[in-house]
Amino acid sequence: MESQHSDPTGGGQDNGRARTLGERVERVGDTAQEAWTRTREAFDDIKGTLDIQGRVDRHPYGTVAAAVGIGYVLGGGLFSPLTARILGLGLRIGLRLAAIPVLRDELFGFAEALGDRRAAGGEEGGARGGAQGTTQAKANKERQP
Amino acid sequence: MEMTAKLEETAHEIEERVRPQIREAKRRIAAFNEEAIEFIKANPGKCLLGALAAGYIIGKIASR
Repeated sequence: MESQHSDPTGGGQDNGRARTLGERVERVGDTAQEAWTRTREAFDDIKGTLDIQGRVDRHPYGTVAAAVGIGYVLGGGLFSPLTARILGLGLRIGLRLAAIPVLRDELFGFAEALGDRRAAGGEEGGARGGAQGTTQAKANKERQP
Repeated sequence: MEMTAKLEETAHEIEERVRPQIREAKRRIAAFNEEAIEFIKANPGKCLLGALAAGYIIGKIASR
């Protein structure tokens, strides 16, 4: 730039054009650099807000799975038969897992109740049997001379 | 009785033969898991972008 100003050969218009062009290029460069800096700052801000590194450190597989899920939704796979199938399978497994403890408790309760009833029946039967035995013994005694 | 004893013996033999392989497989899986976690922690951007791209492709394929 300085050499263009001190050009002794004349051609002021050319020098002016060159200076203007140089200034423009410089300005464009400055603007581009500023835009890049701002973009980087915005990116850093987003990074800081999302705390990607922290999340990845805490839950590496979970973060990757979340990224796959976001990509899947962005790819338009949300309202697709595959999603319906996956959701159906998950629902079925979840229901089974939820139903198994309830069924187990019910079965245990039923078995206990059945056992109690049998035990009560056995005691009653035993008592009844015992009473019958004593009456028969009495009858036998009476029959004997 | 002999049959049962033989079966038990065979089962024990198989168990003895298979146990080291299972242990080795477990060790390998654990090592792979550690490596994967280390890689994800070392390159989170790459991994997340790759996962995002993979999910996008799967979503595209699923939506067709």
